[in-house]
Amino acid sequence: MDELEAIKVTFFQECEELLADLEGGLLAMQEGVGDIETVNAVFRAVHSIKGGAGAFGLEPLVRFAHVFETLLDAVRSGEVPNTVDLAAVMLRASDVLADHVSAARGLGDVDMAASAAMADELKAWTDPSAAPPPAAVAAETVDAPPPAPVAADPDALDDDDLGFDFQPMTISIDAQAADAELIPTNVWTVSIRPKSDLYRKANETALLLRELSRLGPIVATMDDSALPTLEFLDAEAAYVTWSVRVETDDGEEAIREVFEFVDGDCELDIVRGEAPVEAALANLLSAIEPPAPQAAVQAAPEPVAEPAPVASAPEPVAEAPPPVVAAAPAAVAAAPAAAAPAKVTQADVPGPGQSVIRVDPERIDRLIDLVGELVINQAMLAQRVGEYGIAPSSNLAMGLDELEQLTREIQDSVMAIRAQPVKSVFQRMPRLVREVANMTGKQARLVMDGENTEVDKTVIERLSDPITHMLRNAIDHGLESPEERRAAGKNPEGVVRLAALHRSGRIVIEVQDDGKGINRERVFSIAVKKGLISPDVQLTDEEIDNLIFLPGFSTADKISDVSGRGVGMDVVKRSVQALGGRISITSRPGLGSTFTLSLPLTLAVLDGMVVDVAGETLVVPLAAIVESLRPKAEEVRPLGPVGSVLAVRDSFVPLIDVGLALGYRNTSPSPTEGVVLLVEGEDGSRAALVADAIHGQRQVVIKSLEQNYQQVEGVAAATILGDGRVALILDVDAVINLRRRESPRPTEPSLIAAE
Amino acid sequence: MPQASSISVLVVDDQLTMRALIRNALQQIGFKDVREAPDGEEALKSLLAKPANLVISDFNMPKMDGLALLRAVRSHPPIRQTAFVMLTGRADRELVQRAVQFGVNNYCVKPFTVQGLKEKIEQVFGQLT
Repeated sequence: MDELEAIKVTFFQECEELLADLEGGLLAMQEGVGDIETVNAVFRAVHSIKGGAGAFGLEPLVRFAHVFETLLDAVRSGEVPNTVDLAAVMLRASDVLADHVSAARGLGDVDMAASAAMADELKAWTDPSAAPPPAAVAAETVDAPPPAPVAADPDALDDDDLGFDFQPMTISIDAQAADAELIPTNVWTVSIRPKSDLYRKANETALLLRELSRLGPIVATMDDSALPTLEFLDAEAAYVTWSVRVETDDGEEAIREVFEFVDGDCELDIVRGEAPVEAALANLLSAIEPPAPQAAVQAAPEPVAEPAPVASAPEPVAEAPPPVVAAAPAAVAAAPAAAAPAKVTQADVPGPGQSVIRVDPERIDRLIDLVGELVINQAMLAQRVGEYGIAPSSNLAMGLDELEQLTREIQDSVMAIRAQPVKSVFQRMPRLVREVANMTGKQARLVMDGENTEVDKTVIERLSDPITHMLRNAIDHGLESPEERRAAGKNPEGVVRLAALHRSGRIVIEVQDDGKGINRERVFSIAVKKGLISPDVQLTDEEIDNLIFLPGFSTADKISDVSGRGVGMDVVKRSVQALGGRISITSRPGLGSTFTLSLPLTLAVLDGMVVDVAGETLVVPLAAIVESLRPKAEEVRPLGPVGSVLAVRDSFVPLIDVGLALGYRNTSPSPTEGVVLLVEGEDGSRAALVADAIHGQRQVVIKSLEQNYQQVEGVAAATILGDGRVALILDVDAVINLRRRESPRPTEPSLIAAE
Repeated sequence: MPQASSISVLVVDDQLTMRALIRNALQQIGFKDVREAPDGEEALKSLLAKPANLVISDFNMPKMDGLALLRAVRSHPPIRQTAFVMLTGRADRELVQRAVQFGVNNYCVKPFTVQGLKEKIEQVFGQLT
């Protein structure tokens, strides 16, 4: 029974997808999309969940799904009008269904009372005359017989179970075999797609065709649709392909022999049969396309039985629209049209188990690790070559350049394998929004954008928490109550927009609400009251908005269990920063607020600046560096007993000697002798890091310190450089904070706290 | 008496779970040559490329449903006599009646047992060995 258990695992995986489809469809219906395709897809999702659940005897799930399915069936047939209100109810039902699925999986429980109430509410829609409004129906349904007992009892499965007389039609295998004779056995379709090597080795397709014709009559069709115009033509490339119909009794082996000498230099497909499958299929599809069922069966003039002129049949690889068999002229126009859209969707959503391979994620992680090593090795090799003074124009150096290019490409492609659309995280959010809105008595509609934006798997896993918090915050604190909104002349239903996009090599997540915006006066006074800032400090609007990220800040008068769930925005901010990300908020009073979260696309590689500090090599994350400069003596001003600041244009930034901060040395050299990297922390605070020399920019592979050693303050991770040495990656924020803690008298206490 | 192991079967269902369950049941009955398709269209392609003795098909599928597949099979001479067993839910009585018009060989109500499915197939081919 192990196998059944395995299938059950598949079932629950499939349920996840089905529930997502269900929700997606219902959300579309709530937006007013009412086409039959959407309704059908929604129905199919519930139906499939019920079907699988029935097979595994998951009774409560089956029962609830059944009620849901019955309502959807009524919507499908038009008995129950498809309204936006209904979609809202069904969305809540989909949440209950999801709970049932989780419960069946052994993850969590179902609130059976809520489930029964939901079931009654669903039933009330199918039978509004009989049933009073949902709340009152509960009592009535208790003694009602359970809807359609989904039989787990095998005895019930006999011919009569659908209640009408049905005689199974017998069929003989011999008769089938006789029909199969209709398919000519001596006709073969050979598609030949030569590679350029074939011609380079002085072979010639004409010879191959001549050879083929010795086996029997051939009809060859050349496809030159891939042939570019003269200016783009590569004289040594192979553009032309052939499809050859061969009539021979010699069999496949004989055909293959013809191509014996071009083995590997030419792609070859040998298929028994007359026309390529696509042409026959197009005919069949067009024959059943009209919705008049009876007519189609009787009138279909056996289109495919006509000997199709294979000569004009489409070569499967060709881009050109298939010239459809002349035997069914009526079908000619319809056929490609019918076949084409199907192809498109198929490419978008490969059928389960069809063109998708499921790979153990660990294998991919291992592959990424290895590619990381490859990148390092390649860099080491390049450095050695440089050290030997080999001219950059030499073949060796040029070969190495190519290798570097290739390595980069491999790295990008491998990272792309692990990249996933943020959809998997986004699709959990509509439910969250519904729940939070219900809990807070607000009306909220979630609009999502950019669900297909891809990020590395390592990042995706960490997106869920901050997004959840931002959304909760937007609904709980951002949106007003429906009454307040009405009073303000807004739609009582608030809109929360969740969007993902790529911006300068990072992923940006925005959560935008159209609520009241941040009450700055209140935020400011709370921050003062809590001693987070001094009352006389001057802050810009934006600085005030971002006070909400301060540790210990919470604007809600009483801590609601919705927004924070005990966790403040400061914790969110810290966890985001730990990933090399930043989060901020902007707000316009009366119009709403926008959270902006940005994270690196991957946590596996990093663009860094390699610098020398006190004889050590360090890597500074490029994302943190604003500019690098050589300070002049007059720009350095002492501050306090040990500190100093650097005048950069019209502002002063604290100077931090990295060597001192990390304990490499006890006295810092004059900043004018070194190089200064002007960096910006994730909170926007700036500092000037002093290093001895800059080596240049490099992409490095991140090696976790925690995994290999232990966490070290001021150091984010480690990497291996081209010369094989280990270098530490600087944690810019930590270095800035280290210095703050140590400096006896911070420059501006209030402002620093505010950052 | 036909041998189950010599009968080729095409299982058509949009759900991976159902296909796996049916395949599992078929293997228990003794079928060896079992392939799958996720919808009617793919099933038709598969049949045109290589006929099967028996099609076991779900009804409600995207792109091309079971009835359309049945009609297509019946209208194409080389595969016209493919045995066609429809999988259906209890509520789909009308559907089965329509399928009968189009020449379905048998139907099987979900959820089914291995024995139940075997009987349905035997009603079409005769007792299997």
